[in-house]
Amino acid sequence: MTKKEKKSFNQCMAEWKLFLYNPTTREFLGRTTKSWGLILLFYLVFYGFLAALFSFTMWAMLQTLNDEVPKYRDQIPSPGLMVFPKPVTALDYSFRVSDPESYRGYVDDLTKFLKSYDLEEQKNLTACPDGALREQKGPTYTACQFPVVSLKGCSGVEDPEFGYSTGNPCILVKMNRIIGLKPQGKPRINCISKGEKTATLSTYPSNGTIDLKYFPYYGKKLHVRYLQPLVAVQVAFNTTSTGKEVTVECKIDGSPNLRNQDDRDKFLGRVVFKITMHA
Amino acid sequence: MEFGKTRGRVTPQELNPSSGPKPKRVPKMVGRRKKEKVKRKKNKANIEELKKEVVMDDHKLTLEELSRRYSVDLTKGLRPEKAQEILDRDGPNTLTPPPTTPEWVKFCKQLFGGFSILLWTGAILCFVAYGIQTYFNEEPTKDNLYLGIVLAVVVFITGCFSYYQEAKSSKIMESFKSMVPQQALVIRGGEKMQINVQNVVVGDLVEVKGGDRIPADIRLISAQGCKVDNSSLTGESEPQSRFPHFTHENLLETRNICFFSTNCVEGTARGIVIATGDSTVMGRIASLTSGLAVGQTPIATEIKHFIHIITMVCLTLTAKRMAKKNCLVKNLEAVETLGSTSIICSDKTGTLTQNRMTVAHLWFDKTTYEADTSEEQTVNTFAKDSDTWFILARIAGLCNRADFKPDQETLPIAKRATTGDASESALLKFIEQSYSSVKEMREKSPKVAEIPFNSTNKYQISIHLREDSSQTHVLLMKGAPERILAFCSSYLLNGQEYSMDEEMKEAFQNAYLELGGLGERVLGFCFLNLPNTFSKGFKFNTDEVNFPMENFCFVGLISMIDPPRPAVPEAVCKCRSAGIKVIMVTGDHPITAKAIAKGVGIISEGTETAEDTTAQLKVHVRQIDSRDVKAIVVHGSDLKDMSSAQLDEILRNYTEIVFARTSPQQKLIIVEGCQRQGNVVAATGDGVNDSPALKKADIGIAMGITGSDVSKQAADMILLDDNFASIVTGVEEGRLIFDNLKKSIAYTLTSNIPEITPFLLFIILGIPLPLGTITILCIDLGTDMVPAISLAYESAESDIMKRAPRDPKNDKLVNYRLIGMAYGQIGMIQALAGFFTYFVILAENGFKPADLLGIRHDWENSYVNDLEDSYGQQWTFEQRKILEFTCQTGFFVSIVIVQWADLIICKTRRNSVFQQGMKNKILIFGILEETFLAAFLCYTPGMDMALRMYPLKIFWWLCAIPYSILIFIYDEVRKFAIRNHPGGWLERETYY
Repeated sequence: MTKKEKKSFNQCMAEWKLFLYNPTTREFLGRTTKSWGLILLFYLVFYGFLAALFSFTMWAMLQTLNDEVPKYRDQIPSPGLMVFPKPVTALDYSFRVSDPESYRGYVDDLTKFLKSYDLEEQKNLTACPDGALREQKGPTYTACQFPVVSLKGCSGVEDPEFGYSTGNPCILVKMNRIIGLKPQGKPRINCISKGEKTATLSTYPSNGTIDLKYFPYYGKKLHVRYLQPLVAVQVAFNTTSTGKEVTVECKIDGSPNLRNQDDRDKFLGRVVFKITMHA
Repeated sequence: MEFGKTRGRVTPQELNPSSGPKPKRVPKMVGRRKKEKVKRKKNKANIEELKKEVVMDDHKLTLEELSRRYSVDLTKGLRPEKAQEILDRDGPNTLTPPPTTPEWVKFCKQLFGGFSILLWTGAILCFVAYGIQTYFNEEPTKDNLYLGIVLAVVVFITGCFSYYQEAKSSKIMESFKSMVPQQALVIRGGEKMQINVQNVVVGDLVEVKGGDRIPADIRLISAQGCKVDNSSLTGESEPQSRFPHFTHENLLETRNICFFSTNCVEGTARGIVIATGDSTVMGRIASLTSGLAVGQTPIATEIKHFIHIITMVCLTLTAKRMAKKNCLVKNLEAVETLGSTSIICSDKTGTLTQNRMTVAHLWFDKTTYEADTSEEQTVNTFAKDSDTWFILARIAGLCNRADFKPDQETLPIAKRATTGDASESALLKFIEQSYSSVKEMREKSPKVAEIPFNSTNKYQISIHLREDSSQTHVLLMKGAPERILAFCSSYLLNGQEYSMDEEMKEAFQNAYLELGGLGERVLGFCFLNLPNTFSKGFKFNTDEVNFPMENFCFVGLISMIDPPRPAVPEAVCKCRSAGIKVIMVTGDHPITAKAIAKGVGIISEGTETAEDTTAQLKVHVRQIDSRDVKAIVVHGSDLKDMSSAQLDEILRNYTEIVFARTSPQQKLIIVEGCQRQGNVVAATGDGVNDSPALKKADIGIAMGITGSDVSKQAADMILLDDNFASIVTGVEEGRLIFDNLKKSIAYTLTSNIPEITPFLLFIILGIPLPLGTITILCIDLGTDMVPAISLAYESAESDIMKRAPRDPKNDKLVNYRLIGMAYGQIGMIQALAGFFTYFVILAENGFKPADLLGIRHDWENSYVNDLEDSYGQQWTFEQRKILEFTCQTGFFVSIVIVQWADLIICKTRRNSVFQQGMKNKILIFGILEETFLAAFLCYTPGMDMALRMYPLKIFWWLCAIPYSILIFIYDEVRKFAIRNHPGGWLERETYY
């Protein structure tokens, strides 16, 4: 075959121009208006049909779903633990006792979170008997009251600064909601400080107990005003220790079906956070 | 090594010291003479130096001295034992192969080249990340480690696979080369024998003739008009004559030496081998010739790397398949070019015809009978019970100097070798087959005298004892019909003798003209029962004829032709429907050429040349409107006087063209003429003079049996059986491979859309990532691999030889229609299938589609461990990641399932799958393989760690099936429309 001859730049440009618009054949980008029209119409119809078909299959699939309970719950067999104030980047709380601005964010977050736990808000909820699972048959499902006073100094009732101003900061620990989860045994949140003993931890309610009456959860739609049980951890730094820094690990304990150890999932049944307090 | 095309040749420029690479290491020194020769330094190879240092004086020796030095008899050659001894000592007469790239380097290239290097980098980064994690973190996750291992394994396996494929295809191409062994004619112990060139030894007496490659360095001892082409050695393109006399001090200049691997162009010569293998002049500059730059084939440049493997597999497979069908392809590129062939310039003799004379017609009892000319010759269709036939058969059998060679009783008659000329052999075989054993016949009626055929007499006479009365003689005669008739005064009709009359003469004339007009060679037969005066013992004198030479009795005519090969008419017909023009180029007589052209369909039935029409209408050639005439027979002498414009006009205007009485040089002109019209031309040739045409043609085709070494070197393809039909098979295979490559590429490209769109939507809609990198790799390197390759095994569609040849300029392998189909249509459906599965899995686990939009920010934040789903449940980061990876697995499985349908629709481009059938076993295996691989990746324990692929619920496998069916139905409808509206809009826009 003959070698390709090198084209000059001008030739190239001329070819491009001709490709963009060819006045003799009235072709624009290699196609006439009619040709463009036909191919666009084809794809319009084709994609229109595909869109309709996709929407139909999606609609059909959504029809098979139950509004109250998801079809499968095996992806979340065991709940994770989460702390408040909500961490922004890492679970690392750092503040200065003398500077209210440094912990304002934390306090606001806690206040906001505990708003739904106000006595006023809980007025219409049921006072449930302690110590037993509260299975309901419907058609209406009621939520149990959570006595926020059981959080003692971390309830925000007595100390609206949640101990931050006094150097004894509070952290709330909660367990993720999972529909139908029934903890066995006596679940409690057990918090310890890791490493050097620089601080003592107090948990409220005492022992960090999570009462069974808050289980099972029946989902957003049925269980409308459901309140998650909370556990508060209050840190008191030892006056003797020099470093005002502590790493706290909280785990779910006392319940055989709630896992607290997973290589990969660092938040499954446990949570680790660090508090650094400057003078 | 001289197998490549002309680029393999060493030109003087290449021998220039500045550009020449270092010489090869000194070959192993064996024998006394070699030591003195191989004294050169290891610096740059230099032709001047070679000239200086070649201390060879063989060309100066007299023949006696030569004979003494090599202790060889100049007429009988070496004794076979002695030759064997020398062979053991010096080793085979081959050049040490050039230092090829070591295997491990090739392996590493496959392992670390191109795309693989990216994956390796990925793997290494994974390991580094794992290392950092272990260093800073007491309990690191092993994800990175596993991912690294998996990446490494995948790259390693694909590297091994592509290395294996490369190695296999180069091995196959190597084996092709060795399938056409170079032979040399040596004389050993007084016997001529054909041996492989490797076995030629120093001192051998060899004979070379025009068309041969010189088997070693040879000192000539005799020559007849011998000319050699030294262009491969010195770059001189003019053939040089060679004779036994010493003419020049310099070995390279003297005229009595022929050099290894140069070509003998014409004449014959005998000589003594003075050097073999690496010690030849050519061998010592081998390092220069061996650096053959193998250019990248155009097809290779057209495609992306990752399809490279598939292409190699396709081409190799085809080359292998073609070799089975007697087409030996010398470079893979030729396979594809063959497929786009639009004109075949074919020889007549041996290619279109069987290259053996066969009796075609008989004329006796005033009737023409047709003989069976097929290669098997099973049917006999003429009246065998006529008495005239008995006599005719006896004349043909007895008045015949041809004979079968011994020891061939087991072979069918048609295949036996004979001595004697072509027509006599044809008669011999014909009589042996349809009458009785000629040997017995000759034993019963021994020959007592004969006058052999010569061109002045144009007849042949033999006198035999009569079988029935052994005392009397019969005179039998055959020859040119008009000569025979002149001797006759009577004729036989149904065994009865009648005296010759005008009616008979006219009948004879008509028959003679009719048979001659068929392009056949006609012979007349007559006999005379000699009177008793010539009884047994009579001394017949053939020089001074002492027996009657008149009043013979005419018996009949037998005409012979070199018949077309049986498969050829069908092949020509196939070419016609495939839009390929077949042009016959022959040195034969125009009438014969035309007859064969008509016989094989090159000039189709009902089509007439201008001459035919004039003969019928009795008008002059000029009066015929040339537009009405489709066929033409061009005489070589006319061609000589034609300008190229006139030739162009002929090639353009006539669809059925025969060139008769042409010289091989004119073949080149014809090929060039065809190429001027923008055709892709295939040309056949066997002689030395054909090689320019073979080289010029896009596909040069040499003949494996009759072809000369030179033509085989020049060709791109070798027909092992010399059969034209094999070319057509080759064209079909070439088209098939192009189709299959297109299909394979269409299949592979399609899955790109469902691989890319997830990331786009991840960015645009802010949904969790529907398909990750690993799963994309699993598709590209895992599940798509075998199915894509399996399309190379797909059989041809019914229209493969019914459509016009591909226009290489406009019809590219990957065109916008293919892209439109793969990306715009099928790929889109596939993407929807994947997304559907993805949304199903998320929704069934609690994340409804509407809540997913814009969720990406929180979803990807590893400190948000209480992300709420549509039902109020809260998910930790890891929990929802597992869900995400499950979705990715689901997306992956969906692609596999829609690729089933894609594979099935890619089987055909025009036909329905129901017409095509599911006979491709590899393809079925491919479907099963990809499915099992997907299931394996999905369900094997540990895959969650290694590849982050998670088990799926059975229902999620089914989500993509409706889309799979949609793809199938859509494409069947599209193909149905294409079949029913040829040339319609849909065909123009979507037929790739």
